[in-house]
Amino acid sequence: MDVVEKANAARQKRWTKDRKVGEGTYAVVYQGREAATGRKVAIKKIKVGQFKDGLDMSAVREVKYLKELAHQNVIALLDVFSSKTNLNLVLEFLDTDLEMIIKDRSLVFLPADIKSWMAMTFRGLEFCHRNFVLHRDLKPNNLLIASDGQLKLADFGLARDFADPGYKMTCQVITRWYRPPELLFGARYYSTAVDIWSVGCIFAELMLRTPYLPGESDMDQLKTTFRALGTPTEEDWPGHTKLPDYVPVGQFPKTPLRELFTAATADTLNLLGKCLIYEPRKRISAKEALSHPYFFALPYPSHPSKLPKTASQLAASRMAEEAETNVDMNGPGPAVKAAPPNRLKRKMSGDDIGRSVARKLDFSQPAAA
Amino acid sequence: MAVEQVPSTPVDAANDTLSKRPLYEGSTQYQHWRFSPEQLHKTREVLNTDAIAAIRSTFEADSPGSSSDIQFLTYEEEILLVKLYVTKITQLCGHFRFPEEVEATAISYLKRFYLKNTVMDWHPKNVMLTALFLATKTTNHPISLEAYTSNIPRTAPSDVLDLEFLVAQSLAFEFAVWHVHRALWGIWLDAQDLPIPVPPERLQQAYDSALQYVGTSRITDAEFLFTPSQIALACLSLADHDLALRWATAKGVEANMETIEKVAIMVTRDGVVPSVEVVREIDRRLRLCKNPEKVVGSKAYIAKLAKVEREAEVKRARKAEEIRKAMEDGDPFGSELNDGARVIADLDEDD
Repeated sequence: MDVVEKANAARQKRWTKDRKVGEGTYAVVYQGREAATGRKVAIKKIKVGQFKDGLDMSAVREVKYLKELAHQNVIALLDVFSSKTNLNLVLEFLDTDLEMIIKDRSLVFLPADIKSWMAMTFRGLEFCHRNFVLHRDLKPNNLLIASDGQLKLADFGLARDFADPGYKMTCQVITRWYRPPELLFGARYYSTAVDIWSVGCIFAELMLRTPYLPGESDMDQLKTTFRALGTPTEEDWPGHTKLPDYVPVGQFPKTPLRELFTAATADTLNLLGKCLIYEPRKRISAKEALSHPYFFALPYPSHPSKLPKTASQLAASRMAEEAETNVDMNGPGPAVKAAPPNRLKRKMSGDDIGRSVARKLDFSQPAAA
Repeated sequence: MAVEQVPSTPVDAANDTLSKRPLYEGSTQYQHWRFSPEQLHKTREVLNTDAIAAIRSTFEADSPGSSSDIQFLTYEEEILLVKLYVTKITQLCGHFRFPEEVEATAISYLKRFYLKNTVMDWHPKNVMLTALFLATKTTNHPISLEAYTSNIPRTAPSDVLDLEFLVAQSLAFEFAVWHVHRALWGIWLDAQDLPIPVPPERLQQAYDSALQYVGTSRITDAEFLFTPSQIALACLSLADHDLALRWATAKGVEANMETIEKVAIMVTRDGVVPSVEVVREIDRRLRLCKNPEKVVGSKAYIAKLAKVEREAEVKRARKAEEIRKAMEDGDPFGSELNDGARVIADLDEDD
């Protein structure tokens, strides 16, 4: 056996697959363990044989960037091995994602929680941008949450390096609701600002608990965007009418963000507004965002471990606790998979008492900050 | 094997923004593909010795005594052969009009491949084609396999694809490469803003000529021993020594010029394409000492195939047995949820 084959076989032995947890068009995801330590991992098995051009681009991209990017707020690629015609990516195991948390109506978000998620998102993104990598598919569903509450950027299947000057990039990237207007107008030369727009949409979604700009088609996306933020003028965004796919989609007035985000502080709206500036060159950078007054004003960001968790996350950590300590004789016993959220609430610390009061963020009252 | 990373104090990842470690040091290139000259030498020597021992025993297994008069390649000869195919990549890239990034990446892949493999197992003629095709994908300049192979004489899609996994594995799936031409571009931009301005014609001339030297440097081992910016500055100094010195002085790095000098010497000394006669002779001998397990149709090749098939058969039988057992032992109402899931996972595992 060749040295390379041997090394691959040794790698493969380090990991075991336990059960299938998901299947997509080009990959199957398993939950697995590191054989030596029992540490939980996710194994993404990419079927390669089915592509006539060999290793497919999204697999290549994902592996290329995750191999280079080691950061607390970027998902860790622990290993890569191949098996016959499959490529297996061993990733750190993460409990849930921001979309599931947003959709979990039993959870209440405090402004400090949103600030914490935003800080972690910007940190991860700043690291990518510092390494000349555009993510190009940011959305709540791609922001994964670890059991300790840390948020991690994931799914680098559409990522790429900054293009050299003069080289075009595709504008068919970023999930529609999070896609910036320059891409909708067909810009082929763009920058880190495309990711910032997506983060702005996520920021708004965290406050609204529903997608901020849910367009039904690419054309409707422009309309939805302009309806929310006003149609850009030549002065707002010089040259945008010259973009390849520019079409006028009607005149909408600018309404202040304050009208929709009634409970947000001035700092919050200032940062949100800077993420959603039409002119990409004026949009805030991830690095600037991290120094924005929003992050230094009260309330300070929640500690990741104190962030709201979904019921399944709590059940998972509870089961882990039970496995380590004595069995709770008053508890429902091991047969019950997930305890109802109310029961679990009692386990929360004093800081969380406020959460049981309101079911939803109330925008009718100005925030107490 | 690779350069030991300088033990840095454990940096809180959240504090990363504040740490002063250069980005380059976080790259896989710095961590896994940089060597001291001694390490590089040793790596190749060991690889070559081990390969010869393995091939010799394959020959002997086939017919005893058959390896005694075979002249195996030395690692220096292996390098010469690889060097020739580095220049073939450049030719192909010209033909396809691929950007410089594709060319530079493919060349790095080819050279890295032969730090893990021997030409006696895998001929660079094929590996070169796969490395280039893979590089088009990793640098975001994809081309369909059909368009690729139909433009290269006597090449079928399978010639390229069959080796793709092997090449990717040999690269440890580390596809990102930090390039010298990019570093040179940066120096060139800087040089336009020196305290005492340099006439633009001279700058342009120096840049163009330095870029030629960058091409030359790709034939050498420079990328395994030095940083991209060191090599770039060396190339500039070969093109216009005074300009390179002025840039270094303006940057406060003139103390590094000694290292730069070493790189420059290496580029001029080793950046020579081996003569066709020499390579032809190596290639002739390679035909005799090639690993028979990799020659389709040979006894050793057939034996190896049979062995792989036997192993797969054992594995299949074991799985079938497991499934049968699970069916027999299993409660018809499927109470053993976890075990059941286990079997399903195994079933899907075609590896």
